[in-house]
Amino acid sequence: MLVQQLINGLTLGSVYALIALGYTMVYGIIELINFAHGEIYMLGAYMGIITFGLLTTLHLTFPTSGAALLIMMVMAMLFCGACGITIERLAYRPLRGASRLAPLISALGVSIFLQNFVMLAQGPRDKGFPHLFAGEGIDLFGSRISAIQMFIMATSVLMMAALQLLVHRTKIGKAMRATAQDMQMASLVGIDVDRVISATFLIGSALAGVAGIMVGMYYGLINFFIGYIAGIKAFTAAVLGGIGNIPGAMLGGLLLGLIEALGAGYISSEYKDVFAFAILVLVLIFRPSGLLGKDISRRV
Amino acid sequence: MRRGRVWFTPIAAIAVFALTLAHAASTIKLGVAGPLTGDQGAFGQELKNGAIIAVEEWNAKGGVLGKKLEIVLGDDQHDPKQAVAVANKFVNEGIVGVIGHFNSSCSIPASTIYHEGKVVQITPASTNPQFTERGFWNLFRTIGRDDQQGVVAADFIVKKLKKSKVAVLHDKTTYGQGLADETVKALKKAKVKPVYYGGITQGEKDHRPVLTAVRQKNPEVLFYGGIHPEAILLTKQMRELGMKAAFVSGDGVWQKEFIDIAGKAAEGAFITFTPDQTKIKEAQGVLKKHKEKFGSDVGAYTVYSYVATNMLLDAIAATKSTDGPKLAEHIRKTKWNTALGPIQFDKKGDVLVSPFVVWEVKNGKFVQVK
Amino acid sequence: MPTPRLSITLIQRPFPRIVLTSLWFGLLSLPLMMELKAPFFGLERPLLVSAGVAMAGLMRLAVSQRGGPGAERVQRMVGSIGGAVRHLTEQIDRRVIYVVAVASAVVIPLSLNRYHIDILTQVGIYVTLALGLNIVVGLAGLLDLGYVAFYAVGAYTYGLLSTRVGLSFWEVLPLGALLAAIFGILLGIPVLRLRGDYLAIVTLGFGEMIRITLNNWDSVTRGPNGILGIARPRLLGFTFSSPIDYYYLILVIVLLTIFVVDRLNQSRIGRAWTAMRDDEVAAEAMGINLMKAKLLAFGLGATWAGLAGVFFAAKMTFISPESFTFFESVIILCMVVLGGMGSVLGVILGASMLVILPEMMRQFALYRMLIFGGAMVVMMVLRPQGLIASSRRGIALGPKDRQGSASAAVTSPQKMG
Repeated sequence: MLVQQLINGLTLGSVYALIALGYTMVYGIIELINFAHGEIYMLGAYMGIITFGLLTTLHLTFPTSGAALLIMMVMAMLFCGACGITIERLAYRPLRGASRLAPLISALGVSIFLQNFVMLAQGPRDKGFPHLFAGEGIDLFGSRISAIQMFIMATSVLMMAALQLLVHRTKIGKAMRATAQDMQMASLVGIDVDRVISATFLIGSALAGVAGIMVGMYYGLINFFIGYIAGIKAFTAAVLGGIGNIPGAMLGGLLLGLIEALGAGYISSEYKDVFAFAILVLVLIFRPSGLLGKDISRRV
Repeated sequence: MRRGRVWFTPIAAIAVFALTLAHAASTIKLGVAGPLTGDQGAFGQELKNGAIIAVEEWNAKGGVLGKKLEIVLGDDQHDPKQAVAVANKFVNEGIVGVIGHFNSSCSIPASTIYHEGKVVQITPASTNPQFTERGFWNLFRTIGRDDQQGVVAADFIVKKLKKSKVAVLHDKTTYGQGLADETVKALKKAKVKPVYYGGITQGEKDHRPVLTAVRQKNPEVLFYGGIHPEAILLTKQMRELGMKAAFVSGDGVWQKEFIDIAGKAAEGAFITFTPDQTKIKEAQGVLKKHKEKFGSDVGAYTVYSYVATNMLLDAIAATKSTDGPKLAEHIRKTKWNTALGPIQFDKKGDVLVSPFVVWEVKNGKFVQVK
Repeated sequence: MPTPRLSITLIQRPFPRIVLTSLWFGLLSLPLMMELKAPFFGLERPLLVSAGVAMAGLMRLAVSQRGGPGAERVQRMVGSIGGAVRHLTEQIDRRVIYVVAVASAVVIPLSLNRYHIDILTQVGIYVTLALGLNIVVGLAGLLDLGYVAFYAVGAYTYGLLSTRVGLSFWEVLPLGALLAAIFGILLGIPVLRLRGDYLAIVTLGFGEMIRITLNNWDSVTRGPNGILGIARPRLLGFTFSSPIDYYYLILVIVLLTIFVVDRLNQSRIGRAWTAMRDDEVAAEAMGINLMKAKLLAFGLGATWAGLAGVFFAAKMTFISPESFTFFESVIILCMVVLGGMGSVLGVILGASMLVILPEMMRQFALYRMLIFGGAMVVMMVLRPQGLIASSRRGIALGPKDRQGSASAAVTSPQKMG
């Protein structure tokens, strides 16, 4: 049972990590707990279903479902990216100089708005996500690991690596890091801060879109409310790993998934979230900035 | 972006306009309450749709007592506090009767207000025994109680399936846990002790960890107390984990989505629910109208709500009164022939005969087990 | 992100800009709103959105052409209302205002119906909660996302002690407040070292842990079924039962809260909190014991949630874990921030608004929460500092304070004026 629970936990953790990556990225730049990030993820999942519906009605059949999946991903990324920058413009940018809590509340408003918009436009009922992923998976020490589980784990690692490269190896990444450190200084040295932040939201939201498709496919079921729990879990994962830190989000996600799986499997499924939070508190007592977060010394 | 800030003002303006159009004088008002928005919005809207069909039918016949009927919606977002606010609002607006609420945790506190306000409340969905146990004269439910349903499920598992290794899961809600507990009670009476008993969190998507723990006990049957989204995930994930146990659940799972989305994993699942509505003459109209009006088949609670609305309206027509106690008395003593089959209420307002039968998912369809 | 860039660089003139923006929103809503089976694929719906956005843009344009950019004008207008209120309160003797406010709070509900009184009672509960949270967030600057836990502690204290032990409302009221305060300090101890958003997640986790425990500890709390049949408060043979009885009871609690919170605000510890909020290091250097200040903030903040919880249980006579979700914490936080952090009047306004607004929007039925979410964004964008910004600094420099309060002058010297 242990191996199976480890597989369960790692997949669940990868799912959390997928969403936490975008969360932590946005946080890293403008220190905003983006409550609406979970909703972007939900929009991505819906965009996947809508694209798939369009493809089938137009009778565009593909030799492999992989092509359909690719198109769905691209559409979801475009759509979520567009939503992300629009939301930033509309709800966060005007609040950039205000107190830290103002954009938090505004993000919450966006989140409530999007949930209800999707409920009204797409209906409140659950929708099945098309099953596009063939492949049987393999047996491992008497436990099963399915193809899609492997695919999800691989995607999350890949996405983390790509993000890490983007932030540390590219010009826009450099601009992002500069903006994160000091927005005013960054704009003084000629960085278009607005543009950098827009780009951050674009990338972070596009990642959420991918997460929406992956998770939708994995569980096969979506509704307008999936962003709520996902958002809280992703936030927890990001903080556990050190919010703002990209490998931290991955580590935090995996850990959270493992804790939940082992807690539910061995102790009690009702209290698993209590264990998860208890461990989070313990970690934060000894490492107040999360596992991989830099210890921000007190500003004097 | 500054230019977009007020872009939904026009939407609000349109809504206000629509509202003024919809408002008409001298009507008889019915309240329909439930979670119309939020994560359980789908269920609240089932109640709403059932009531709308019934009211449209009556209005087409000219209303009751020479007046048109109007539905007033009360969104409680399955929050007990909002349920009380809705109840006070309804009582205040002179609502004649209430169809709702959906959740027992809302129906119970709201019923106190309706009782004080002398308003009849018929819930199409709250199955918790406590709702009617307090002896209020104004409460009815067209749906069975958790204990009635639990007995049917346990009986089926022990006598029909002849299985004794049963794992029980529930979703930690009043409904889900209530149903699971009543089933466990009935199982224990038949000398069957569950090999696993545990709760999952509603809204979460990954139940593999708990299922892996359940698998360890090798159950022959998995009973689940809860609603369909989790049931879909549970059946899919248990089959993925290679579990062969039969899946048994209650009326909260009797939804088209369960079969549509769970697909092959739903095959062979057993669900307790009321007898086949399509075979009941009285139900044909509402089933057809729902398809025409809302473009989909009815949900699990739509017909319950439709029946509850009809009872209320019939009582108004029969007693020529909108007085709460008179309506309640009529509803209580009448032998109803409804779209759910024959219904009669006991002193508490519960349905006298347990309406539950067992259904099986066969070839992508719900089939009543003989 | 090519499209919005394009719209900015190419289109500086207002009219094409409005057209492009409205098309952009139409495009965004297109995939979610279209329906392949509907006539014209349901394309009229995104077009409607576009039209709505265009209308809003034109309206804004019309406003802005009469002087200054539109948003700023509205902002100034809203701001001047807040300013006028504050100005008014400074002009008239405060005691007069208090008497008038209290008198109207006592008299006006006599003419209202039970629904409105129930809503006002809810406002009262939330004012108490928001004022309590304001101590933690607004004054001490500690972001608490699990405040609802203390509310639950209060409610379950009364629920359990009433149904199992048979204690009366009046006996439990101080007990519930005390227990909540103890929980507040218990939460405070492990999180002393945490700052900002790390604190936020731990408090969030704490709130969830309490709720999950209440939902699962069936033998004591009856789990999701909740506790039914909680006794109504009695006083000298009179039983509180109708909405108006409860209204007056919460009114007394609210007045007490306002009085104490206002006193706290002016006190030494209140000033220590603001100093800590503005700069922990400087505050500590000035001799403020940060640990003591933080624990006091958590404890005193939680006390009011405990009181509100006891009252809530008595009013509903039924409680279940569903009333104490994370969302509830967030809504209370919204009240504090929307109203104006640190300002008592602001917090009262914020709480009233967030209770009354969704009730007023009941007529929109399914559109209710959509509009509510949108309104939250609009309010925040128009007025980021809250409806009424904290007037603390102004008071600290007032003539009466000038001679006496040396501590205020020391703790935040650079922020004055």
